[in-house]
Amino acid sequence: MSLIIDVLTGGVRGGTSILYAALGETVSQRSGVINLGTEGGMLGGALTAYIIAAETGNPWLGVLGGGIVGAALALVHALLVLWRGANQFASGLMVLFLALGLTSLFGASYVGRTITPFTTWAIPVLSDIPVLGPVLFDQDPLVYLSYLAVPAAWFVLFRTRAGLLLRTAGERSDALTVHGADVRVVRTWAVGAGGFLAGVGGAHLSIAYTNTWFENMVAGRGFIAVALVILAAWGPVKVMAGAYLFGAALALGPALQARGIPVNQFLLHVIPFVLTLVVLAALGRRSSNAAPAELQRVFENGAPAT
Amino acid sequence: MTTLLDPTPSLVEPGERPDRRAAALRATGRWAAAIGGALVIFSALLLLRGANPLEALGDMWVSTFLRGRSLAEILNVMAPITLAALAVLVPARAGLTNVGGEGQLMLGAIAAGGTALALDQQLPGPLVLVLALVAGGVAGAAWAGVAAILRLRFQVDEAVSTLLLNFIALDLLLFLIYQPWRESAAGQPTTRELADAAKMPVITGTVINVGIIVALAATVVVILVLGRTRWGFRLSVVGGNAEAARRAGMNVAGLVISALIVGGLLAGLAGAIQFTGIEYKLRAGFGLQIGYLGFLASWLARHRPLPVLLASFVLAALAIAGDSLQLDAQLPAASVNILTALILAAVLGWTTVKARRA
Amino acid sequence: MARFTIRTGATALAVAAVVGLAGCSSPVAAENASSSDGAPGTGGTAIGFIMVGPRDDYGYNQAVYEASQILADEHPDLEILTAENVPEDDSAVTTMEQMIDRGAKIIFATSYGHLDAAQQVAEDHPDVVVVQQGNTIAGDILPNSGTYFGTVYEPMYLAGIAAGAATESGKLGYVYAFPIPQTIANINAFERGAQTVNPGVETITVSTSSWCDPAAQREAANSLLSQGVDVITQHQDCTKTVIDATEAAGAHTVGYHADASELAPEGWLTGAVWDWAPLYSDIVATILDGKFTGSEFNANYRVGYKTGTNPFVLAGYGPSVSAETQAAIEDAQAFLATDAGSPFVGPVLDQDGAVKVADGVTPDYAEIDAMDYFVQGVVGDLAN
Repeated sequence: MSLIIDVLTGGVRGGTSILYAALGETVSQRSGVINLGTEGGMLGGALTAYIIAAETGNPWLGVLGGGIVGAALALVHALLVLWRGANQFASGLMVLFLALGLTSLFGASYVGRTITPFTTWAIPVLSDIPVLGPVLFDQDPLVYLSYLAVPAAWFVLFRTRAGLLLRTAGERSDALTVHGADVRVVRTWAVGAGGFLAGVGGAHLSIAYTNTWFENMVAGRGFIAVALVILAAWGPVKVMAGAYLFGAALALGPALQARGIPVNQFLLHVIPFVLTLVVLAALGRRSSNAAPAELQRVFENGAPAT
Repeated sequence: MTTLLDPTPSLVEPGERPDRRAAALRATGRWAAAIGGALVIFSALLLLRGANPLEALGDMWVSTFLRGRSLAEILNVMAPITLAALAVLVPARAGLTNVGGEGQLMLGAIAAGGTALALDQQLPGPLVLVLALVAGGVAGAAWAGVAAILRLRFQVDEAVSTLLLNFIALDLLLFLIYQPWRESAAGQPTTRELADAAKMPVITGTVINVGIIVALAATVVVILVLGRTRWGFRLSVVGGNAEAARRAGMNVAGLVISALIVGGLLAGLAGAIQFTGIEYKLRAGFGLQIGYLGFLASWLARHRPLPVLLASFVLAALAIAGDSLQLDAQLPAASVNILTALILAAVLGWTTVKARRA
Repeated sequence: MARFTIRTGATALAVAAVVGLAGCSSPVAAENASSSDGAPGTGGTAIGFIMVGPRDDYGYNQAVYEASQILADEHPDLEILTAENVPEDDSAVTTMEQMIDRGAKIIFATSYGHLDAAQQVAEDHPDVVVVQQGNTIAGDILPNSGTYFGTVYEPMYLAGIAAGAATESGKLGYVYAFPIPQTIANINAFERGAQTVNPGVETITVSTSSWCDPAAQREAANSLLSQGVDVITQHQDCTKTVIDATEAAGAHTVGYHADASELAPEGWLTGAVWDWAPLYSDIVATILDGKFTGSEFNANYRVGYKTGTNPFVLAGYGPSVSAETQAAIEDAQAFLATDAGSPFVGPVLDQDGAVKVADGVTPDYAEIDAMDYFVQGVVGDLAN
């Protein structure tokens, strides 16, 4: 039982940065743009949040700054793919290298700095609920904020005019003209908003989860976020579940080790990736149908129907 | 409209000579402007960080190109990048996006390592080397084959499946070096080192690894196969218009599979070269990012084999240049990624004939 | 076909560019090759240090960097070249080659996993001395290479005494990267130190499989804390995340690499702190005198409390360490300095109860460096 609580708690704690990034990637992909640069947006967000938290002592300003830098990096991607016709995969990887370089150049002097981080804050009453209490309600404020961000993202995507435009850009961009909107403008907003969320995810990593800045500390979580969106069929709530699954896969190894149970942790790490492939294969055509139509064309990239 | 990929991409369309020369001149101008712009932005960032950009770039140039070992270092890094780029290029001809060079390379290295380490005590070195390269190519091809099957049988896009397969390949490598293939329980997780006799030789009188010759040969073969064979022609037709290809009676599914598998074979070969020629051991961090650099090199070159050589040379040189930033300008080595990214951005966004709508 | 000729033209161009580069690079090579006829390591204008992580990581690499800067003061005529974040693979060779091209005749390869690269560079450059920190060269040692390290398990043994006295749950936690021999010796010494004051105490180990992966560190620390562990120490290059998580949970910290008591004002006990400067200084002086080959550094050199210059010392004590515990630690340190002193005076039993060091035997440094088992009382499996 304590193992389950540990793994679930670790899954929520470690999955939150992935959750923010994947939520952002959902917004972006719903509009028809895939951003492999999410990994870079997280790096930029992680460093910016750390710098601001170190300089101002206010972690909330750090989150804001991290989001803004994440958005800025995503807008570089938007500029290239939407306004300059670059390939989405190549441009995304370019953004990753850009962020790797920038955070290395400007982050070196912050490696050893101490900051005022977010701390765990148990919500009275709720945190006393068996199992769910420690798992969900004994976490840091950014985790709690993510509980609001998921339904908010769902609401904006599916219940507002902005969300309708965004999804139309991803499904039938030619229909946008009926609404008097420019597809490139709509997508630019979506990619920027997605980048903001990726930056917040990075901020969680540096100023709430590890309280440290380290070169390339995102270590693949941004790529996981991109894969996760596809596994979750572009739905914010499923994204949340998937993020915790990836988080739990990372938390299971240490939890077992601390109980003296020998385990090759890479057998655990690989589970979510294999699961994603299996689910995609099992859904087959249906998973493709769940994809925004214009995104589907990006994947196919002019490839033949087979 | 959505065909972002030109099946027979060429900046220079065949036509009258003066036109062609003017177009080439314009293309060269765009490239020069793009790279110049990248250098200006990079300099501004260095200035912001309190470094002297002219000095830093000058030192970088000297350190990267003018030292005794410069060329050897660049060519050794370039060889696997070139192969990883060709692994993107061949499927791209058929309109496929292979993001999985990274994983195919790792599978190639795993198979090459497994084969070589199992045999290097029994068989003559050169034979082991050849077997390792073959095993690497086959394993890379098989890994890409998984993506091909997922595409044909289960309608899973290869861009997604190859990306996911990268992570699975990485975990497989780590699993193997942490337990079954580990040299000793007490120590960092690596396999043992390949026997000297089975290591890839260097070109006589240099420290240049034979890997670059394999990469150049592969490039020539790819040029000939794509340009001179029916298979190459058909790939272009499928990539250009699958429906037309089908009407013309082509086996579209077979072409798609074969394009991906050939791509995987090339990436697997890159992994085998990295193992037998550079690293000699499988370890955590083996060959990291080579697959992604290859992807970018192929895009830099607009999926044309000869420019791929130039693009991988540039990316390899930039990878080496990081050391100079650190040793001469006291800036973090990874800062050089900024320059890599800016050059890419400039080429991706500002050297096309026309910007297409996404 | 027209296009094919254009492409051939481009090939010629590319080949010409490559050949051109080769042409203009050879004179530089010739210049570099004209080295002095002196002993290995002499006649250079620089000393190179390669580090696996960043130079201000509150840990291993920071200790290296700080000591390297002291050398700069001692040898104003020599440039100190430092390279951070150098991976433990073949690219380390390229970085060291670049240092040699900049005049370095002495190179310190400071991470355990840099040994292969260090050996290769030493082989290719007989005029350059390459010393490696922490690993062990098996077999013949080249006249221009060697390894050096201190007996860091000695201060960890002393810190274990403080940990054993502090724990209420009887469970200590150890976050480590890889089960390399020096880490295994540290973990074993820590547990054995704790046992001297707290016989039933356990040390639970969690591996992060990385010298610095802050997220993995956070999960490792949390999983230990949830098992009731109330003292945590570590063998990581960057140490801040684990210390923060431990302090936030109200548990005790035993530091590693650097005095991080400011990160854990409440829970700090003590730790092993590194001071490389005197040893680096000795090594460089020996090399510059032309006496490296055949010296004690042209070997797998180890130094400990017995020789008095162990580069690892005990950090200051935190507020909760009692005078009684401090006295016990001082006694133990005095014992380690004696000929028969060691954290591993037999009997030493492994996890299965097999005798690894016989009763009354004091193992030598080389034997301790070759440990490939956890001692009784350590919880965890080596192969993960």
